[in-house]
Amino acid sequence: MKGTTVTAAAAAAVLLAVGPAAAQGIFVGHLADYTGATSDVGKPYGEGVADALAYVNQHGGINGKKIEFETVDYSYEIPRAIATYKKWLGGQKPAAIQGWGTGDTEALVTFVAKDEIPYFSASYSGHLTDPTGKNKHGAKPAPYNFFYGPSYTDGCRALVQWAAADAKQKGIASPKFVHMGDNHPYPNAPKAACGEYAKEMGFGIVPPIQYSLKPGDFKAQCLSLKESGANYAFLANTGGSTISLLKSCETVGVDVQFMGNVWAMDENALKAAGDAANGTVFVVGAAAWDSDAPGMKTVREISKISDPSGNQYRAVHYMRGICSVFYMRDAMVAADKAGGVNGPNVKKAMESMKDHVPAELQGVCIPSTWTAEDHRGTTKVFIYRANSKDGKQSIEKIGEAEIERKPEWLGW
Amino acid sequence: MASTSSAMIPCGQFKTSYRTDTTIFPTPVSRWLVIAGIVLLCVAPLTGWLSKYQLNLLIQIGYYGIAALGLNILVGFTGQISLGHAAFFGFGAFASAWLSNDWGVPVFWSIPLAGVMTTLVGLLFGIPAARIKGLYLAIATFAAQFILEDFFARANWFTGGSSGTLAQSFSLFGWAIDDDRSYFYVVLAWLVLMYVLGTNLLRTRDGRAFVAVRDHYLSAEVMGVGLTWYRVLSFGISAFYAGIGGALFGHYLGFVSAEAFTLLLSIQFLGMIIIGGLGSVMGTLLGTAFMVLLPETIGFLSQSLGDVFPALTTGLAFVKEGAIGLVIVLFLIFEPEGLAHRWHLIKAYWKLYPFSY
Repeated sequence: MKGTTVTAAAAAAVLLAVGPAAAQGIFVGHLADYTGATSDVGKPYGEGVADALAYVNQHGGINGKKIEFETVDYSYEIPRAIATYKKWLGGQKPAAIQGWGTGDTEALVTFVAKDEIPYFSASYSGHLTDPTGKNKHGAKPAPYNFFYGPSYTDGCRALVQWAAADAKQKGIASPKFVHMGDNHPYPNAPKAACGEYAKEMGFGIVPPIQYSLKPGDFKAQCLSLKESGANYAFLANTGGSTISLLKSCETVGVDVQFMGNVWAMDENALKAAGDAANGTVFVVGAAAWDSDAPGMKTVREISKISDPSGNQYRAVHYMRGICSVFYMRDAMVAADKAGGVNGPNVKKAMESMKDHVPAELQGVCIPSTWTAEDHRGTTKVFIYRANSKDGKQSIEKIGEAEIERKPEWLGW
Repeated sequence: MASTSSAMIPCGQFKTSYRTDTTIFPTPVSRWLVIAGIVLLCVAPLTGWLSKYQLNLLIQIGYYGIAALGLNILVGFTGQISLGHAAFFGFGAFASAWLSNDWGVPVFWSIPLAGVMTTLVGLLFGIPAARIKGLYLAIATFAAQFILEDFFARANWFTGGSSGTLAQSFSLFGWAIDDDRSYFYVVLAWLVLMYVLGTNLLRTRDGRAFVAVRDHYLSAEVMGVGLTWYRVLSFGISAFYAGIGGALFGHYLGFVSAEAFTLLLSIQFLGMIIIGGLGSVMGTLLGTAFMVLLPETIGFLSQSLGDVFPALTTGLAFVKEGAIGLVIVLFLIFEPEGLAHRWHLIKAYWKLYPFSY
């Protein structure tokens, strides 16, 4: 019992100087995963967000006001994300947050709604798209959640459409579809909705196969995949575990068309997986690094913030991080003109965007529309294919899909 | 009695009853110091001395300290071992959230009820202790960790599955306690209650039986102590503490998810009680405070180091993790009996000053 006194004294003595300093200007919290299970894709995206925020500050900020931001690496651990959120709320009072994963974003939905903090996640979970809670699928209302890009479910639907056409072309009479991913909120997000859609499109549904978000030996999963007789496998994890899976499946000799969601494949993963990744199709939500869109000039300037030489190749996720920040900036500028950068004003500004593309990023970000009823920013999906032959890798755009905005799909 | 009328302990042993022998506070001063310490803790948040960050750390020490005491009862007093303490901690958190969300039980009651539910689970997973000991028991409790962790990720009805579940905030007579300052009092009240209970448990017949099982199980059995019963009971009590600590954690964070309760946390609980002192109630709290504050202190120091030597900034994360490990190793070498023992040495030094020998 006497320890109580000692504890208090020790705590007070050691930590007197550690409390967070109150911020001036507009504070934006930035949650990133640089060391956790999804760090392989968290790094390029997080760098995109941090570079873009610094770039915005160098070029006028929010009508002259600087954005103060703090990047916190939460290692993809939900409790750490929530603790960080609480810390920010108690200290700097963020005007907005640039977040990361599905688990933490969905956990924070009710918090940010109560505290009126616009939350721009890198999670494109369909559950975050219904601001009013009218959906019939049990998703909580997410009035303050925004994300740039097609939802996971819409991405998966686009791949299913592509697969249906592919099956027709190849003459597969009754193609089978399988969802593969970890038992974690992020891979689970599109599972039910996309499976339902695949069924509608005439696919036979094979029971989902589980493989960890952390890279490992997945030969057992590949053998189950082989035995299941699936023709099309949707990979719902991130790049790191995709590499292991593709390599394991190559060893086992699986002949299945792999389809990666927006975080499952990129140039880094392709390079690491090599020929095992050849032919994998995947979702992309913005222009790629070697695109010649006019907005890429700005992207290259932004990239110089963390890479002054300008030589570094940036994976596809980097561009989406930049887009996320620039939509937030445009909303903040509008909110500032409308009376101040606060939660309700930024939300209103976001919800009045119609086919909007940030001025400097023409051709990079997909035109996006948010309304007070519908937070599906865009339903356009770019489909790319990964090519790898004789040690040479490339990604190539093979199609585009526009998914219908069906009201019954909201929040799913 | 002479010993209670004076502030000092008289030289020599003058105890004439078991009551005086097992007293919690050997002198009135020690009693008043503890009461003053609790009063100080009650007043501290009101004065604004503590920043939110410091308050948060104290709350962490509170709920971890409760759970760690449970493990110390199991490991330090009964001589068993558990690698599944984090799973019980998690079970308490989920149980309390489940009771308040799905059954409408007020959080005030769901916390103790979650403790009771966790006790039942602890009794169940303690059954192997009836037959096996030592490293084999460690691996058997390891199974509890695995089974419960997987259960958390799949039992949608109970835990919300892999997405986790929201935990409501504590409320008392319609007054919602949703900020750190008021929640601090909830944790403090539970901490005091659980530590008083724990201290008293060890002065009872059952408490002495625990120690007998630890010190020499054969002699204990010969003397009529039911080994199976006390070993399993010890698991139950330990799980009760873990459940209460976990429930407090869940309602503090407002959200419970399976990934918070890994084997690493189980090991950290063991670290807390080993550093604090096995078989010491006060040491448990000291050890918990040590384990919670160490990363923060070293993080702060390495941050300051980075300000002085900017070239080090990129290596700071590594310096931090490395330093934490180093401090723990050095600590175990130079103070193997834990912080409680060091505290006694410091006390003895001042008591005998200047004639210590």
